Amino acid sequence: MEDSMNNPPETESTTTNGVQIRQSRRLPDFLQSVNLKYVKLGYHYLITHLLTLCFVPLIAFVIFQASQFNPNDIHQLWLHLQYNLVSVIICSVFLVSGATVYIVTRPRSVYLVDYACYKPPAKLQVQYQQFMEHSKLTGDFDDSSLEFQRRILERSGLGEETYVPQAMHYIPPRPTMAAAREEAEQVMFGALDILFANTNIKPKDIGVLVVNCSLFNPTPSLSAMIVNKYKLRGNVRTFNLGGMGCSAGVIAVDLAKDMLQIHRNTYAVVVSTENITQNWYFGNKKSMLIPNCLFRVGGSAVLLSNKAKDRRRAKYKLVHVVRTHKGADDKAFKCVYQEQDDAGKTGVSLSKDLMAIAGGALKTNITTLGPLVLPISEQLLFFSTLVAKKLFNAKLKPYIPDFKLAFDHFCIHAGGRAVIDELERNLQLLPIHVEASRMTLHRFGNTSSSSIWYELAYTEAKGRVRRGNRVWQIAFGSGFKCNSSVWEALRHVKPSTSNPWEDCIDRYPVQIVM
Amino acid sequence: MADITYICKRTVVSTKPVQPGKHFSLSVLDRLMEQNHLRFVYYFRAPGAIREPGEMTKKLRESISEMLTCFPIVTGRLLRNPEGQWMIKCNDAGVRMVEARIKGSVENWLKGVDREKELKLVHWEEMYHKPYFWSTFYVQITEFEEGGVAIGLSCLHLLADPTCASMFVKAWADMTLTGKMLNNPPLSHQLPPRRPGRKNPSHDQPSMELINCYKSIADKTNLVSTDDAKHATIALAFSDPMVRACMANGQAMAASDQSSPSPFEALAALFWVCISKLKGAGDDLIDMSVCSDMRNVLNLDNGFFGNCMVYNRVNSKNLKGQKLSDVAKVIGEVMSEMDNDGIIDLIEWLEHNDHQSPPTMNGCDLICASLEAVDPYLAVFEEDLIPVRVSCYVEPVVGVGHVLVLPSPPGEGPFSRVVMVTLPEDEAVRLCEDDLILNFSPTILMGVNN
Repeated sequence: MEDSMNNPPETESTTTNGVQIRQSRRLPDFLQSVNLKYVKLGYHYLITHLLTLCFVPLIAFVIFQASQFNPNDIHQLWLHLQYNLVSVIICSVFLVSGATVYIVTRPRSVYLVDYACYKPPAKLQVQYQQFMEHSKLTGDFDDSSLEFQRRILERSGLGEETYVPQAMHYIPPRPTMAAAREEAEQVMFGALDILFANTNIKPKDIGVLVVNCSLFNPTPSLSAMIVNKYKLRGNVRTFNLGGMGCSAGVIAVDLAKDMLQIHRNTYAVVVSTENITQNWYFGNKKSMLIPNCLFRVGGSAVLLSNKAKDRRRAKYKLVHVVRTHKGADDKAFKCVYQEQDDAGKTGVSLSKDLMAIAGGALKTNITTLGPLVLPISEQLLFFSTLVAKKLFNAKLKPYIPDFKLAFDHFCIHAGGRAVIDELERNLQLLPIHVEASRMTLHRFGNTSSSSIWYELAYTEAKGRVRRGNRVWQIAFGSGFKCNSSVWEALRHVKPSTSNPWEDCIDRYPVQIVM
Repeated sequence: MADITYICKRTVVSTKPVQPGKHFSLSVLDRLMEQNHLRFVYYFRAPGAIREPGEMTKKLRESISEMLTCFPIVTGRLLRNPEGQWMIKCNDAGVRMVEARIKGSVENWLKGVDREKELKLVHWEEMYHKPYFWSTFYVQITEFEEGGVAIGLSCLHLLADPTCASMFVKAWADMTLTGKMLNNPPLSHQLPPRRPGRKNPSHDQPSMELINCYKSIADKTNLVSTDDAKHATIALAFSDPMVRACMANGQAMAASDQSSPSPFEALAALFWVCISKLKGAGDDLIDMSVCSDMRNVLNLDNGFFGNCMVYNRVNSKNLKGQKLSDVAKVIGEVMSEMDNDGIIDLIEWLEHNDHQSPPTMNGCDLICASLEAVDPYLAVFEEDLIPVRVSCYVEPVVGVGHVLVLPSPPGEGPFSRVVMVTLPEDEAVRLCEDDLILNFSPTILMGVNN
């Protein structure tokens, strides 16, 4: 019975041997034949261009009226204006001063001229076998801890080319402060050298320097190390952010953006990195072993500018930065916690609620970000669903706005496979949207605050960034914080020279085997 | 003599990752050598400018990484296959490298070195309880502060014999010197099967000499006493004319149609007679086995990476009077028994009678091994970094002792040899004073320090 209903309508036919084929004259099922996706797209285009569509009749009307003017009417208009000179002048004054105030108080555009990501030398790569062997040879891990690390490593989504600092390649490892400084120097100076070479700026032109590194904060600070190495000028404004976790990269960009509002016509450099050398955990508490398996060496340097002339050569323009802090909640606060275990070994412990809290932080962040970036069509839908639920108590699922309509590229901090999976599900993203994050996790591991820049470099290396595309960078970090920044591409972006994906982009994307 | 300072230990991997999933199985000849390990020490004098400390080490570390790409068997790890035998999983886990520094110069060191000191230049770790995390190859680079470098290589005998261990070092030297390997990377690892049609129709029974030798070694292993006598190693250099004299001695007086014994046979005969005397065997000769590289006999390329040294017992029953010529002749006959058919029969027999726990091959008899196929002096790392001395040890030494005949540094004549003898300490001392040996005025390169 069912079959006959789904078949297209057949005409009646009588064959010679008398068999009659039943005909079905039902109309085809519209819900099945019409794709809901295209209806939604059509609605989206309609609302986006609603203003234009409304203007068209108005323009038509004005043109019609204007065409009916004769010179006499214009003369009349002119006389009216002359008689009301005072009010005309007052109006103009208001208009002009209002416009001036508006123009002057508008925030300065912040342009991202270029950025560079550090790629460590091949001899620092660590493969699964080596990781397990060296972990075993330290003698600090018992068998269950080793097995636990092996399982985490296999399901982590990391490849066999991620980098671990030199200190960890020794048997036994040598996590000295000197080694940590050396790692920081290699990463930061490596990234900055590439950045300066690509952008041709003189270090003396830098007015603002923001460095963020969560777990390593020597005295003098890392920002002082950079001032010393590159001989920055005496009145450079330096900031060193410590302890702010993996989302500190976005926080640093936010700080640089604010500084660029106050200081005119200058450059800001933002260096994001992390330090692995002294932060390896040599104990047996399971919740603290996970960072060993995920965190790897990496760093980025970003050049921001508020000079109007840089608009032409800049890659992106900063549109929004939204910062959300869930630290007021105790559970969120303790979610990523650095402490000593019972044996006195220091490590960062991750609680089991991490994913749930991350989900909550994300929701708060997108609630704030949504109205700023979502097209009107989505906002109307969201609003109407909300109204329907509250007022009419309709049993509707909460409407999750489609961020794919607001953004073209997503750079989700490569915190781990679980984080990316969770966000892919929550935001209803397609595999191609999270490809940059997954591949960065595979190639470089979790490089903490700089991973969003590696992901952007991947997207550029694949040639996907076109003019006008919007990029959304989301980072989660201890605290618990969820910070996002939105960039708009000012041109078709070509990958910079010496970008970290240069020699291997053709191998990607790879299938991540479980 | 200054003490050695160990700087660090790390793992060195190849620059290009190996294809995952590759395995190498080990041949029967390999599996027999499981209990032994090799140690090589190469000494390099560095005339000219004193280098920065650590510079040479860094360069060598980078070149070995490049070179390891061609030796996946070296960087792999041991696993048992479903039949319970060892095999290598090529997972690119790497070799361990130890870096060290010593005060003084190479020349000073070489003047006063003995076995104990020399073994400090080669790092070795016994197999762990979990062999999957245990490296089978160890490299130690020791820089002498006043000039010179010593490179120590140790490896499990299961994977390599002295010939291919020295080939490994040569490949490393080529990579350091020229940036590429001059010889082809090592070939696959299988011993050749019997060539069809070669089987002699009159050869119904396999030739039993080699098989008997291995059988008796396996039986005797249980009787090896594990006395903790301290062993000493001495190295004696025999110059070209002296070896010729020894060979002339070894040739029977009235038999001019006989070919003279090879340098190895002559020297083996000499040492066999002397050591038997030392051990108090009177006129008789103690049991001895000779061992030699069989790559040529089996028509294998020199690049064959694996064990290809075969042992054979020398029958001493009919020898009386210890005339060197007779002894050398007997050794010569035994060496010729190690021909293609004989070895292939042996391999087939071994494959059928695979022991679960292999015997200690160097356990019971006096072993005289010919390492002439090993040419360690080809390993030139830089224009002026040429090996001046090479020592070879086959560990562990239990039982009677062994004699290794190595080639000499180039330029000393084609017949000159260096003989390394490992014996219990007191016997080693007496060997240096033995008249028969002193007849050939060897230079004592490494003696026994009291």
